[in-house]
Amino acid sequence: MTPPTQSAETCSLCPRLCRPACPVASGSGREAAVPSLIAATLVEWGRGRLPVERALEAATLCVDCGACQSHCHLDRPLPELLRKVRREIVVFVEPEALQPIEGEGAMIVIEADERPFAAALSRRLKRPVRRWPTTDRLGVGAVEHADWEKHAEKLRLHKGAGADLVIADGGVATALSAAGIPFRWLQEVVPELPSGVASCCAPGGTTTVACCGAAGPLMAHHPEDSVRVGEFWLRRTESRQVSDARCRAHLQACGGKVRDALDVLLEGE
Amino acid sequence: MSLLPADVRTSDLPLDLTAAARDLWPGGTLDFWQGRPAPEPARVFWPKSEAEVHAVLKAASESQIPVTTYGMGSGVCGGARGREGAWVLDTKAMDAIGPLDSDRRTVEAQAGVNGQHLEDWLNARGFTLGHSPSSIWCSTVGGWAAARSAGQFSSRYGVFEDMVLGLGAVSPSRGAFSVGEGGDSPDDWMELLLGSEGTLAVITKVKMRVWPLPRERVLRGYRFPDVASAIRAMRGLMQGELWPAVVRLYDPVDTRIGGRTKTKENPEEEHRAFYREWLAAVDGMPSIRRRLLALPLALPGLVNNLFGSMASGCLLVVGWEGEPEVVKELYDVGHALLCKEGEDLGTGPGERWFHSRHAVSFKLMPIFERGGFADTMEVACRWSDVEALYDAVRAALGKTAVVMAHMSHVYPEGASIYFSFAGRGDPAVYDRTWKAALEACLSVGATVTHHHGVGSLKAAAASEEVGPAVAGWRSLKKELDPASVMNAGRLFVDVPHREIAPPELRPDDGMARAPLESTLSERAGWVQEGHEPMWPWESWPAPPRWLRLPWQTGWIEVAGRAGGLGCVLGRGPRSAAGPDLRGWLARRAGNQGTASFAVVPTEGAWMGAIKVADPWKVGWELIRKDLRPSSLYVKEGELRVGFRGPAARALAKIASAMVGGLVEIPWAPAPLASGPLEACDWKDKDIVALTLSGPVRRKEPEPARRKRTKESV
Repeated sequence: MTPPTQSAETCSLCPRLCRPACPVASGSGREAAVPSLIAATLVEWGRGRLPVERALEAATLCVDCGACQSHCHLDRPLPELLRKVRREIVVFVEPEALQPIEGEGAMIVIEADERPFAAALSRRLKRPVRRWPTTDRLGVGAVEHADWEKHAEKLRLHKGAGADLVIADGGVATALSAAGIPFRWLQEVVPELPSGVASCCAPGGTTTVACCGAAGPLMAHHPEDSVRVGEFWLRRTESRQVSDARCRAHLQACGGKVRDALDVLLEGE
Repeated sequence: MSLLPADVRTSDLPLDLTAAARDLWPGGTLDFWQGRPAPEPARVFWPKSEAEVHAVLKAASESQIPVTTYGMGSGVCGGARGREGAWVLDTKAMDAIGPLDSDRRTVEAQAGVNGQHLEDWLNARGFTLGHSPSSIWCSTVGGWAAARSAGQFSSRYGVFEDMVLGLGAVSPSRGAFSVGEGGDSPDDWMELLLGSEGTLAVITKVKMRVWPLPRERVLRGYRFPDVASAIRAMRGLMQGELWPAVVRLYDPVDTRIGGRTKTKENPEEEHRAFYREWLAAVDGMPSIRRRLLALPLALPGLVNNLFGSMASGCLLVVGWEGEPEVVKELYDVGHALLCKEGEDLGTGPGERWFHSRHAVSFKLMPIFERGGFADTMEVACRWSDVEALYDAVRAALGKTAVVMAHMSHVYPEGASIYFSFAGRGDPAVYDRTWKAALEACLSVGATVTHHHGVGSLKAAAASEEVGPAVAGWRSLKKELDPASVMNAGRLFVDVPHREIAPPELRPDDGMARAPLESTLSERAGWVQEGHEPMWPWESWPAPPRWLRLPWQTGWIEVAGRAGGLGCVLGRGPRSAAGPDLRGWLARRAGNQGTASFAVVPTEGAWMGAIKVADPWKVGWELIRKDLRPSSLYVKEGELRVGFRGPAARALAKIASAMVGGLVEIPWAPAPLASGPLEACDWKDKDIVALTLSGPVRRKEPEPARRKRTKESV
């Protein structure tokens, strides 16, 4: 495998300018989580100087919120690179077949952690819902997988055939957005979900979802850092440093744990 | 075998060790890019409290393990770079902000708070710190104090040390202690901790002065025919007490490369930004990109000459901010002064700078990527040496690097020059470039650093500059860090010292020199006719920074003998060459020593008086309005306020309107109380001075205070 790290080079030389925008760097306190240093690790891995485990460790210090690229005056696509690297590395470390999409119906739930969102949703909506299972190992699952592009194409086709996609995780939502795949938000499908819990998943709120630390590969691979990031952003919320109202509402309701929002759906069953 | 401190978050994961091995020293970046690994520490700690900091330092001292304090690693001199087997004390888990005292205008923050996060927090509450270094996105409050940071608005708000009112710190031997306002340790330790770069103690929290968000900001560009005429204009602004917030002069090469000037009359005739076009051209031809870049970097002399010959004129960006009526008057007077030799370019250049003011560092990466190195050097000196310093350092750098410069920190007593340079990415060339530049700087008698600090890169040069006064730092280090584990080998190193005599003062310097123990009237005898001391302290030293107004300077240069050799400290305004050891040298030198101090012309000075019920409180309102009177005191219940410089009458008019009519009286500034002083409340009948936080009175000698307490009991 050729590590796809060439586009990390500029970031690896950057004087860490996107640091304050990165929720993981800010919240975890780990220098290794600063996007420039993640990029530096990937560059060294690409040069054959570091083992793949180090690259995996670095590339998963990320909630996939895209804030680093938004902050960057050079518009370096580091989030996209990290997604690509994570997909490559996961396969490299432990080849694993992506599960097929199960069942019939016009909706698909991308389901992480083996939590039965699809079944819950199906009962709630009284209609068939398809299920695309992923694993804890993969964190946000499908979108982190090496075969994601192929499946993304399938998803696009599903959409073309009139299927709706229902998402089950903020990180997945971000990735779906990035891949240009239309999807519907959990709250749109289950409007009675408490707004303080699910409103964070409203369109345009992807960075606010991800910045709390509970989204994406961070929670799967670095659970302690995930909690630190959530706590940090909650403090910033309380001290009026988070200006986005949706984000404030979400953080105050969930305390930085997006997955709690999804538990609400299960508890309702 | 070291004993790990219990319950402190720590990591020895290779990922964390590698990350903590490198700061932003460009030499380290070059090493990284070329595949030379940085020395890795053995462990990283993230203490959350002073007790945890002490546990780490105590364990390290007992095991003789070196400790490097690491904030966000934004230092460019290698002060926080890795050391084999060392422990890294990362301050980022100490990230609390507050409380904010909006009446006294102070805020506290723990050392690990990110600069931009602090500024966001203050802005949300209607305040600003006024500190805007280009590293604000990637540096910490603790790092600002430890390395004497300076921001882009320093000519109005001061450098970071001017904002500091108190510090919390932890040392291996003393544990947690505090200095400054309300501190439990000697006052003069404040000056020794600022700039100590982790060699004495870990700074854990900082109490700072804050300002209301400015209600008005004016930024404007001016084109000057050459550096000399622009320097005259900048000096005029500062010695005229016009207190601009922004003063940025780009030398002709920087002006040309940056493509910054555009006249009001011909807005389309902007110089093309060579830098951007060059990189774009290189990127357009990937097969030869490295060679294309290598060529100019390999022939820096030729390129410097080429750019020099193409360059015409230089850009000066000047700005004011604050209360609208004050800004208007200062701008009107400043604009007229600038237009004497400069051409008005309108608001465009200033606004462009303002909106991209933190983005300059994005330009550095492409140079490394293409096989070169890019670095910066900031030096400072008195006004009469600025041109000589510019020529000497530029010539030294220009032998091996393409060089340009700007000046963005100016004071009544001198200025800093900031050189940006790029060369061939060969470590030998890199080292040679720095060695030549530092030698050139010292040969002019300037300070080798204004705000980047010392680290390991400038340790030898700073040690040479400070000379035998390094003993003052060693003495405190022995007390606070007896095992010498704190960032050893950084900041100061053993170098041979030589005899240094204070330089002759010239009229442009705006300074006079007098014996250290001279009285104010004796000092006045050393001042040229038509001038007076800018801040007439009764005696030296001036009160500590938390008991005076931030723009009031004390001594500038202190000269005296130490270790049998002549020694001069304060060779450039706001030097960041380690702790401020002028107080130590002054105590050592006694009346054999001398100090220089700022002087200003009295022509045009205006003073007025008014009888009011609460004169000190009324005077305080003027200061809080940021009028910056040159003299303010109360005599026989009467408030007296004076202004000097070309804006004196305009400012006096504002002051008069505010207080209800000042009656003009002859100019008669009063001596400024030197101390010992202490903060007091408004009801106190013995107020002698004001700070931005409130009134100050003379501190009674200890025995007298005890006696009175006994009597009252």
